[in-house]
Amino acid sequence: MSDSFGSTALRLDSASPPNDVMIKLEGLRKRYPGQSTDSVRPLDMEIRRGEFVVFVGPSGCGKTTTLRMINRLVEPTSGQIWIDGRDVTHTDPDELRRHIGYVIQQVGLIPHLTISQNVGLVPKLLGWDKKRIEPRVDELLDLVGLDPAQYRRRYPKQLSGGQQQRVGVARALAADPPVMVMDEPFGAIDPITRERLQDEFLKLQQRIRKTIVFVTHDIDEALKLGDRIAIFGESSQLAQFATPLEILSHPADDYVRSFVGTGAAIRRLGLLRVGDLEGAGGGAGAGPALRVPPETTVYAALEQMLDAGAARLAVDGEPGAERSLSLQEMLAAAARGRQVPS
Amino acid sequence: MEFLEYVSRNAQQIIFLTTQHVQVVLLSVAVAAVIGVSLGIATERAPRLRRLLLAFTGTLLTVPSFALFGLLIPVLGLGLAPTVVALTVYAIFPILRNTVTGLETVDPAVVEAARGMGMNSWGRLRTIRLPLAWPVILNGIRVSTIMVVAIAAIAAAVRGPGLGELIFRGLARIGGANALNQALAGVVGVVLVALVLDLLFVLARRLTTPRGLRV
Amino acid sequence: MSRAEGVIDVEAEAPVASWVLPVLAVVLTAGMLGYLQVASLDSIEQRVLVPDAILDATIQHINLVVASTLLVIVIAVPLGILLSRRRARWLGAPVLALANAGQAIPSIGVLVLLAILVGVGFSMAVVALVIYALLPVLRNTMVGLQQVDRSLIDAGRGMGMSARQVLTTIELPLAVPVMLAGIRVALILNVGVAALATYTNAGGLGTFIESGIVFNRMPILLTGSVLTIALALIVDWLAGLAENKLRPRGL
Ligand SMILES: Nc1ncnc2c1ncn2[C@@H]1O[C@H](COP(=O)(O)OP(=O)(O)OP(=O)(O)O)[C@@H](O)[C@H]1O
Ligand SMILES: [Mg+2]
Repeated sequence: MSDSFGSTALRLDSASPPNDVMIKLEGLRKRYPGQSTDSVRPLDMEIRRGEFVVFVGPSGCGKTTTLRMINRLVEPTSGQIWIDGRDVTHTDPDELRRHIGYVIQQVGLIPHLTISQNVGLVPKLLGWDKKRIEPRVDELLDLVGLDPAQYRRRYPKQLSGGQQQRVGVARALAADPPVMVMDEPFGAIDPITRERLQDEFLKLQQRIRKTIVFVTHDIDEALKLGDRIAIFGESSQLAQFATPLEILSHPADDYVRSFVGTGAAIRRLGLLRVGDLEGAGGGAGAGPALRVPPETTVYAALEQMLDAGAARLAVDGEPGAERSLSLQEMLAAAARGRQVPS
Repeated sequence: MEFLEYVSRNAQQIIFLTTQHVQVVLLSVAVAAVIGVSLGIATERAPRLRRLLLAFTGTLLTVPSFALFGLLIPVLGLGLAPTVVALTVYAIFPILRNTVTGLETVDPAVVEAARGMGMNSWGRLRTIRLPLAWPVILNGIRVSTIMVVAIAAIAAAVRGPGLGELIFRGLARIGGANALNQALAGVVGVVLVALVLDLLFVLARRLTTPRGLRV
Repeated sequence: MSRAEGVIDVEAEAPVASWVLPVLAVVLTAGMLGYLQVASLDSIEQRVLVPDAILDATIQHINLVVASTLLVIVIAVPLGILLSRRRARWLGAPVLALANAGQAIPSIGVLVLLAILVGVGFSMAVVALVIYALLPVLRNTMVGLQQVDRSLIDAGRGMGMSARQVLTTIELPLAVPVMLAGIRVALILNVGVAALATYTNAGGLGTFIESGIVFNRMPILLTGSVLTIALALIVDWLAGLAENKLRPRGL
């Protein structure tokens, strides 16, 4: 019974083209009972398969409401939700949610269940047998960087906040849902741990390629994580929905500009990688050069150059394909990056 | 209607028993309040003794009231004495517990500030900690009172004072004409006493809570 | 402050070391029975305090407590669950208020009114005990369910648990400690009220207290009182053990 949904609609099939629409919101609207205005005014949005979309916006603008309409923890007042080409606005919500990973700020690990029981919850709901759940749990704990042997039998209370949220992510991934919705998952975690979790989560996403909708009100987190960022205004009205680079280079209006805050140009340097810069190729120029791998951000490279007093950068590459960039060339390329949003 | 008639015909007796009931309750709670609050304060420097006292008085609450009355009769005889002692015993725990909680939950920063001003520990207790803990202590007294009002109804079994007498007389007359009315008058009387005292506590709380705490 | 709202709240403090209660109970019982062996009892005392009668009264007392507590659990727990469901939640607050107000009713009053209105005997006493002890269990079931962290329920729903699955795997286990505390209060109340059941011909250890007063015989009075207290201590101890045993791990 439980598998019919998964196999027909929400299977992560390699056959589907990479750019097709995974989540489509059509005229999605929410007015809470007793309220005189819409918390979410009719919203249209398309999210591609494998895309990492981040919702940002001021407190109370309806990010959570919109997110929770995707897995129908909040029932839309009107409009439609499509997931993987299927209208799920009126399907069985429990069944729908078993195929959408859900991560929240409070984590919500069930305190009287062990870590492994917590992670195995959704597979159990889906009727997997024990032999299949156990190795899956271990695999997931491993995936989020927790040693299964050490943590399997513990209770949530016996973990730090960061570790708990790792388990929260593992639990959401347990049944391999193609879609994940995450509401400020790192919001309650100290800045240093948060950054580490973000880095790890990005790496994880490169492997698992889920379609992710992620809410935050930290614009830096959004810029760092999102393939595309949806900046919401009042009542979930989209002020801009674009790539981080686009948002930094071409903010749609003053609202977006003020939301992004100062230092857009500097922040952009954190998004560009030296390997992508169009610079003069070819051999070494004059002066000592600093060697960096191509995935280094321009921001980090500049920092190192300033630190070392180097005026040139040597970008690693295939033998013979190394490139060298001068400070001038880098700045020019970074400025051009403004015109070529990927 | 028949009940109201009964009440009006026996108003004098009912009022007399109600007054007795209220008196014995207030007397017991007053004694318990003195004991409970003093013990709470006196054991501040002796946390182990305090825990022991709390555990002991708490366990006393599990002692069935009829059995406690019975236990006291050989020593105190029948009537008022065992009633007051038993009710006092039951009333101590909520008051002691709330005194302890109240004193413990006073914001340490406030106490620290007073210390910084050079106030000694008695001064801190009298001018800061007790007033701040008072609403909690008062609530403990309220809980004790409501509880003891109901328990006092059993006192009539040991010839004690109060409205329980109507209940037991109704019981003795089972099948008789006014058995139900009589017992009902006792029960309703006890409930009314509890409700009225509860209301008075709400009032007392309003009147005695330091103004700054009333938010 | 919520704790202070409960009128009789035996859970409030960590109890005495767990062995104290049963040891005290055993000492009390042994002392009492020993005294009866050596004391010179007059004819009335001898007639009332036959070992069989003591045993019978004890068993009656236990039966009253067990029967009424089981009934209380069977009635109050499902009712409490029902009243905390979304659709019935509006009823919850008034019922809780009523339950709290109901604690002002004296137990002897419930017992006597029922005896007058319906009749006397064991089963009527059980009914009275159930009415009286229903409130703490009902209240604690509702409070226990209400205090479950909303985000846990949200997480459960978000994972695709049905409302029933959320109830059984999240809400109920987390409410268990509070519910058990309520059941413990009910047990203690029942031991006490059952001691009064003698006045409505339902037997129990209160019989000796009553006859002791009526005949003015202290040995009889003390037998009833001491054994009732010992029983209460034992019941409280057992309830405490059960509470520890049944509390979900990890909390
Ligand atoms: N259950 C509810 N009933 C009524 N109104 C609600 C409810 N939940 C949210 N709202 C209202 O809807 C609006 C959007 O709330 P929502 O929680 O979606 O905001 P948010 O963008 O997630 O805010 P935050 O960043 O603070 O989490 C708010 O004005 C809020 O008051
Ligand atoms: Mg939110």
